[in-house]
Amino acid sequence: MATTITKTKTLIGKAIRRREDPRLITGTATYVEDIKMPGMHYAVVVRSPHAAARIRSIDTSKAASRPGVVAVFTGRDVSNVGPVPCGASLPGLRVPHHTILATDRVYYAGHPVAVVVATDRYIAADAADDVEIDWEVLKAVADPVKALEPGAPAVHPEWPDNKAFDFHQEHGDVEKAFAEADVIVKQRILSQRLIPTPMETRGVVAEWRAADRALNLYSSTQIPHLLRSMVAQMLGLEENRLRVVAPEVGGGFGCKLNVYAEEALMGFVAMKINKPVKWIETRRENYLATIHGRGHVDDYELAATRDGIITGIKLRIIQDLGAYHQLLTPAIPTLSVLMMPGLYRTQNICADIVGVFTNCVPTDAYRGAGRPEATHGIERMVDILAAELKMDPAEIRLKNFVQPSEFPFPTATGLIYDSGDYAAPLRKALDIVDYQNLRREQAEARKQGRLMGIGMSTYGEICAFGPSPATPAGGWESATVKIEPSGKVTVLTGASPHGQGEETTFAQIAADELGVDIDDVLVVHGDTALVQYGIGTFGSRATAVGGTAVYFALQDLKAKIKKFGALLLNSDDVTLANGQCIDNKTGASKSVQEIAAASYRAMQLPPNTEPGMVSTHFWEPPNFTFPFGAHLVVTEIDRDTGAVKVLRYVAVDDCGNILNPLIVTGQVHGGVAQGIGQALYEQAVYDENGQLITGELMDYAVPKAHMMPWIESDHTVTPTPVNPLGVKGVGEAGTIGCSPAVVNSVVDALSPLGVRHIDMPMTPEKIWKLIRSAQ
Amino acid sequence: MIPQTFDYTAPSTLDQALGLIAQGAKPLAGGMSLIPMMKLRLASPEHLVDIGRLPELRYIRDDAGVLRLGAGCTHYEVETSPLLRGKCPLLSETAARIGDVQVRNMGTIGGSVAHADPAADYPAALLALEAQIVLRGAKSQRTVAASGFFLDTFATALEPGEIVSEIIVPVEDAGAGTSYQKMAQPASGFALVGVAARLRRSGGTIVLARLGVTGLAPHAYRAASAEKALEGTPGTAADIQMAASRIAEGVEANADLHASADYRRHLAAVSAARAITAALARTA
Amino acid sequence: MKISGSQRLPFPPEQSYALMQDPAVLARAIPGCQSLERTGENEYRMKMKMALAAFSGAFEGQVRISEQQPPSSFRLEVEGSGKIGFVKGGGVLKLEPSEAETMVHYDGDVQVGGTIAAVGQRLIEGAAKSMIQRFFEKLAAS
Repeated sequence: MATTITKTKTLIGKAIRRREDPRLITGTATYVEDIKMPGMHYAVVVRSPHAAARIRSIDTSKAASRPGVVAVFTGRDVSNVGPVPCGASLPGLRVPHHTILATDRVYYAGHPVAVVVATDRYIAADAADDVEIDWEVLKAVADPVKALEPGAPAVHPEWPDNKAFDFHQEHGDVEKAFAEADVIVKQRILSQRLIPTPMETRGVVAEWRAADRALNLYSSTQIPHLLRSMVAQMLGLEENRLRVVAPEVGGGFGCKLNVYAEEALMGFVAMKINKPVKWIETRRENYLATIHGRGHVDDYELAATRDGIITGIKLRIIQDLGAYHQLLTPAIPTLSVLMMPGLYRTQNICADIVGVFTNCVPTDAYRGAGRPEATHGIERMVDILAAELKMDPAEIRLKNFVQPSEFPFPTATGLIYDSGDYAAPLRKALDIVDYQNLRREQAEARKQGRLMGIGMSTYGEICAFGPSPATPAGGWESATVKIEPSGKVTVLTGASPHGQGEETTFAQIAADELGVDIDDVLVVHGDTALVQYGIGTFGSRATAVGGTAVYFALQDLKAKIKKFGALLLNSDDVTLANGQCIDNKTGASKSVQEIAAASYRAMQLPPNTEPGMVSTHFWEPPNFTFPFGAHLVVTEIDRDTGAVKVLRYVAVDDCGNILNPLIVTGQVHGGVAQGIGQALYEQAVYDENGQLITGELMDYAVPKAHMMPWIESDHTVTPTPVNPLGVKGVGEAGTIGCSPAVVNSVVDALSPLGVRHIDMPMTPEKIWKLIRSAQ
Repeated sequence: MIPQTFDYTAPSTLDQALGLIAQGAKPLAGGMSLIPMMKLRLASPEHLVDIGRLPELRYIRDDAGVLRLGAGCTHYEVETSPLLRGKCPLLSETAARIGDVQVRNMGTIGGSVAHADPAADYPAALLALEAQIVLRGAKSQRTVAASGFFLDTFATALEPGEIVSEIIVPVEDAGAGTSYQKMAQPASGFALVGVAARLRRSGGTIVLARLGVTGLAPHAYRAASAEKALEGTPGTAADIQMAASRIAEGVEANADLHASADYRRHLAAVSAARAITAALARTA
Repeated sequence: MKISGSQRLPFPPEQSYALMQDPAVLARAIPGCQSLERTGENEYRMKMKMALAAFSGAFEGQVRISEQQPPSSFRLEVEGSGKIGFVKGGGVLKLEPSEAETMVHYDGDVQVGGTIAAVGQRLIEGAAKSMIQRFFEKLAAS
């Protein structure tokens, strides 16, 4: 039988509006908070106000006696529940035993100590205030550098040096590179603690179905299947009796790529009280007890030749881990090491990580997860080197890029860069702003005493996580595509998207491949009872890995359609195109819908073929993908106040093929917003006693719409050979490319004053002080 | 985020509201400060009386040379009122700089004034305008000058049982020029420092200078020494700098996570110079 | 957070000193103090209700006086906690004769935790200053 498959690309590449948006913008979507069940109870978690303290005693009697309170549980009651899991493994890693409620000691302000369950949430909140805890307050340490000093308070008394791990990686001959270098530049660069701040905080509804000995767990999570496996283990439940549903998820940015104490705790509560229970995290809890991001103190050294060739990189990372390991906490800085050479060719690298415990909430994956830190570091260092050598920052980058002919390119850190033309987005960005002319304008502005800056970053990132051997859980993704008897197409993806638009892009893929109307395609995700096992959405992987799984499931399905089509047409030479199976000889045809109906009716079956029209594919990627790009930022500093104004923001991103430009642009905008947040505004601040003093949106400055510049988004397209869609991922690109470009621009603006580096966030006061001290 | 139990009454007349307030109920207007505090349980009033919906408190009118604003006017109404924009543009300009659109749609001028946040925007403008604030209780009504109203951090001349019911501002004569300049704290939108300037010029000389400052000190104040430095001068750049340099005179500057005392003092001088310059350019 | 400053009391140092050690006087002067109950030598249990505009919160805690060197200095430690968080502070008060009156110089450290620490950042220092001011005003009037 001939196997001609004619593709008619009609939807891929088109700016189709997101099909998920109407329900989101009309307030009709169902988030965890919207779930209501008969007999539902409400839980409030009692948390430690202290960063470090021993619990002398807990008196729950007053809380328990409040009318409407049905139960109060403390650490002792949940001692049979397994610990909060750490999925990362590193040699010699110290893993604190992380119980779901504190037992005799608390390790950070916000540490859960007890849970109060009542018939309504107001009663539960009142009763939570009634829980009396006798504390013996201990000395805390919140600063990772201080935590490493001798005599610092021990976060975990069993490890007085506060070190969770030491990690070392090197390649090439670093010592030689530094010994022979014409120039060496050094800088300490901070990547401050950030609070992810999804619009929807975490939330869990747990429903124990006693008759079936089964638990339904609704959670605002990025990883329903992984969560199911781990919560089942924590609760000692058979995995197939636990159903996890991620309903609408109002933003995750990595902070919901986790398994939290409260998820197992609500399961425990529901089983104990035999009633559905709901817990919705308050914003204050979200700031105290949901993971933070970043938290790096990086010491960089760059060795280079006189003409600007980078010959070696040394990096020492002090990673603020917080008090515990959440799911991936210790793994995040290792991603920074992987990305430390950036887009540059040098083969001589040496990296050390010290993972440090502090009396703070754990850090973990936050948009970019390890790569923004690395990109920020190398892109700042390249600018510092350029300044040292009095070279143009664009020129020095162009000199050091991996060249298009060198792909696949093995990096010094053990990655294989798949494909790229790193000069292309930089040249495009320079063209967009008319770089030479812009530099002339800058010179003119400087003559007038204005502080105008031009900064760029050329970033690379690791996306499409990833081959399974390189990831803590599986790195594959799954898809099932079904054509229902009526001809409607259902795509079940294991990737659990939550705002990235895959209900649209996956429908585009399916509609194109099958030649059906996009409105006939429904993309289903986020329910372990409906969807085959999957990994989840994080690390810019949903489309590159999950979309590819959909693509391959569709190929299998198309083969089956053709088999049934050939049978129905009584032909041995058919073509599938535009939703029709066509007999190449007679021109007779059957529609995909007719064929699907026949496959279920099963009056006749092609040889060795099952009835029905369902195909499942688990796709294991052979490699990561490595998107790249160039961001160029023009700023002007208000000399009097130190305020930064972004005059132009140009983002040229190469994420491979673009399935839907509207969605890609949206991802870039969102990513840049969070990058600008880090560069200019955001910082989680703990005081010396471990109190989070940016504990609310009144003090933690998430950028608002009116604080954003106009973003000029453009692209180059270098399809990846890693997957047949040629897509690389774009979810984190904006964040990764942004912060170094903004900082480089501001440093450039201030360079006439002798400024060489500024740490984030670049608040007006910080800049004003630099200006003042230069005068 | 879950407040304690409270009673809520939305009376239809101001008299009913004042009666309840006299018995200890807490007035609720736009709720932009009170509700967040209740959700955090930093405030736990037992009884809220909603005065934000009373039509009696929602008016802006020209009344024989003065403008009267009901305390229930939202910031948005103050911002967009053609009457205010024409006859007291400083108040509209100030309202436009408060928080964000959502806050301006909900928050009221009376609520903001009564709350007396040391970094709120209105107090600077009201001081510069030499506004009068009408305070009403169940059986009382009195009028207090803005300069005598803001006493300390969150402390005002309001007595228990009283609410702010009306704000009275002068109609600016044609020769006056005003401006509000503010550096916002990026998280909250409150002023790190804000300076309102109101100037009148006659024959090339500044004959009246009123400068209200918010955010810098425990409460908003009028910078008397800077005003004096400006009055009687032609308002040259040097005159402006001289006045601006005295804006924080005698004031112990606030310091917090978001700005040091030094930076706030510096910002006050910068904002003062900008406000004076802009106001001067608007004088006839 | 460091808190330091000076306040004038219209009494000679001996009298000022005595006033500041007298629980009945302190109970009246400490803003929001509802009860001050002696629990030991120079130790008291205090209940107070702090109110600052819309904010209010009940605190229970201890007051300790030590390092007494009448009439020139003593150390004061206050610790309180309530539903909205906790406050812990300590410092030395030095009394200096100034003509017939007393200048009281205070220099101490205040730690704040819980909800008030998170949301009250920009207000705590101002609130502390205003409470100290009110304390000395009431003391001066006693």
